[in-house]
Amino acid sequence: MKNRVCITGIGCVTPFGFGVDALWEGCLNAKDVIAPIPEQWSRYHTYSSNIWAPLPTIDYAKHHLSRVDCMQQDTVSLLSVAATHDALAQAGYALTQANERKNTWHIESIEPYKSGVFIGTGVGGLTSFIDAEAHHINTPVKKNINTLKEAVNYSETSSLFDNLGGTLQFPPRFNPFIVSMIMPNAIAAQLGIRYSLKGANETTCAACASGTIAIGRAFESIRSGKLDFALAGGAEYLGDRFGGIYRGFDAAKTLTHDYSDPQTANRPFDKNRSGFLFAEGGSAILILESLNRALRRGVEPLAEIVGFAESFDAHNIMIMDPSGEELRNLITQTLDDANHEAVSVDYINTHGTGTQVNDPIEASVIQSLFDKKPIVNSTKSLTGHTIGGAGAIEAAITALSLFHQTTHINKNLEEPIEDLSFVKKVEEHTLNTALTQSFAFGGHNAALLLKRLSQPE
Amino acid sequence: MTEADILEKTRSVIAEILRVDKESITESSSIKGDLGADSLDQVSLLMALEEEFKEEISDDDAKNLLTVGDTVAFITKKISEKQ
Repeated sequence: MKNRVCITGIGCVTPFGFGVDALWEGCLNAKDVIAPIPEQWSRYHTYSSNIWAPLPTIDYAKHHLSRVDCMQQDTVSLLSVAATHDALAQAGYALTQANERKNTWHIESIEPYKSGVFIGTGVGGLTSFIDAEAHHINTPVKKNINTLKEAVNYSETSSLFDNLGGTLQFPPRFNPFIVSMIMPNAIAAQLGIRYSLKGANETTCAACASGTIAIGRAFESIRSGKLDFALAGGAEYLGDRFGGIYRGFDAAKTLTHDYSDPQTANRPFDKNRSGFLFAEGGSAILILESLNRALRRGVEPLAEIVGFAESFDAHNIMIMDPSGEELRNLITQTLDDANHEAVSVDYINTHGTGTQVNDPIEASVIQSLFDKKPIVNSTKSLTGHTIGGAGAIEAAITALSLFHQTTHINKNLEEPIEDLSFVKKVEEHTLNTALTQSFAFGGHNAALLLKRLSQPE
Repeated sequence: MTEADILEKTRSVIAEILRVDKESITESSSIKGDLGADSLDQVSLLMALEEEFKEEISDDDAKNLLTVGDTVAFITKKISEKQ
């Protein structure tokens, strides 16, 4: 017999701030998150885009992360551990310390071998690698420059040396923990270690669909009865000190670049879109458990997950198949997995990046399968694109929309490219079933179907 | 910074990193034996001391820092060489 699977807690760090309340309120109020890119990045390159959605500064000590944690983990793991601690509290789980020195914990009442971790990420601890490599390369370069300084007339060339020095940014030490910081599976492993979870511990690397697939895998594991509890979500951190990751997306012409007002530059599904808003990063961790378990504990779930599917374009590493055939297959299979008809879907949380290529394909597939029945929005029109974190943040928004019976607008949408029921103002809706979908570089597509479980307060 | 200041700060860092009671840390405490640091703890401790005192501790130097006293003497020497 299949288990029903529900979401009982959400923890996150997004450009709106720390926590699910900051995310939800930020989205409902369509708060601005856009800022100019760091000045330091302009030492290295002139970019087509010059805005991003930075993350808030996190005081990790407030989120039970020690100095040792901060030395041994990449930012992407730290964000995820902080988010998980918050998600567990929201789900009503008490924690007891397992080992003080290791900063590990036991989650009350869970069976460790029936509890897993499923995390999606695009690049794992890439920024730690960049720091370590910068130290590795630039330490001898700096020594050579200092030797050169002594050999030439420094007073006449000081500005040249100052410029050189300014570009030579690197941390004071080559981090000896670097291997365990950069591996993409470090996030899931850190969470499994921290919370003493011994069931399946999996990492999904599927770029922008990573978080969605990770949640889907957790859902399938609980539905099948293999597991009873899971931490599931996605995470990314892309704010390297040189702007090289940003440059990669900029060079691929994926970032919003054709705008007069930065505040309206991020405009998914609008005729005047020119790319996505790059986010510094983000993490969302969902507590998934069997509905029986949640009811036994007496907690009120936020939503139920009823379907999951994935498809693969087999078309192009960077460009979505323009026919939309695999998106259609994806949605059909997700509905089939849940034994639902398209007509039952009330709300679609789209992938909605704002790129020239993706939006029309996605909008056209929605139009052909659903017409104007479901309301539609793009969370990325508010948060920017958090890559591996996006699918999980959007699953969180989908669950919250079902729980609260309302959802956020599709920001900056003035001239829609397709006649869909885009959300233009925040108001009450009857939302019983919602689809959230993600598409990724590589050609990976994934979707989750969620259902309302509770009455709004 | 006096040697006493350095000792005080070193004890605080060790207490924080190894999660041991600061009062139990003396100059003669051995970092591995008495304070129970494993190899990862030792690396973390060195990184924290480097961060705290803004001094580099090479892997070769680190091999000789077996006790709290060794560590304090080494850092005191490093700082005085700079002045």
